[in-house]
Amino acid sequence: MEITRKRIMQYLFCVALVLAGIIFNHYGVGSGEFMAYGSVGNWLIYIGFVGFAVTTLQMLSRKKRRIDERMEFVAAKAMRITYLALIIAAFIIIILDGIQPITIPYHLFMSYLVCGLLLIYFVAYHYLLRRY
Amino acid sequence: MELSKNNLKKFREKKKLTQEKLADLVGVTRQTIISIESGRYIPSLQLALEFAKVFKCRVEDLFGL
Repeated sequence: MEITRKRIMQYLFCVALVLAGIIFNHYGVGSGEFMAYGSVGNWLIYIGFVGFAVTTLQMLSRKKRRIDERMEFVAAKAMRITYLALIIAAFIIIILDGIQPITIPYHLFMSYLVCGLLLIYFVAYHYLLRRY
Repeated sequence: MELSKNNLKKFREKKKLTQEKLADLVGVTRQTIISIESGRYIPSLQLALEFAKVFKCRVEDLFGL
């Protein structure tokens, strides 16, 4: 288990999120406007604690993964494919919206979009990793 | 782009090194060594120089266009 500068920065960022969340909650910023978590503060606290958990799990993980130039090359290629997919998806959405207006809530739309992009990146990365 | 000359496997076998051992020596994964040997991936200049250092030869002896 190694505590690196990067880890300290990650923990500090999580603490900052939690503190910001507490301050936001104290002053009631965004209360009543944020449907999913009650207020902006609650959401920041939630993200801060998830960050704590992820950082701690990463630190406790014994498995050391080696990342070499081939992986970076593949990741860059997968990123390019994902970016292209985003542009194509934007065009398709514009066309579909023209045919029939899309009425799903904004936050749900963004969630689908992010999940879709993550899926495309994951599939592209693993496909390219086998190819190269 | 493809390499017309790729003697990495030849040099590795001559030195009696396994793919795993060579990967450790140059700081990459075994999969990368497999990819380079099979010609699917072209190594960077830095990695090619690392190979040349391990095998005590010139980069041109290992790879060529």
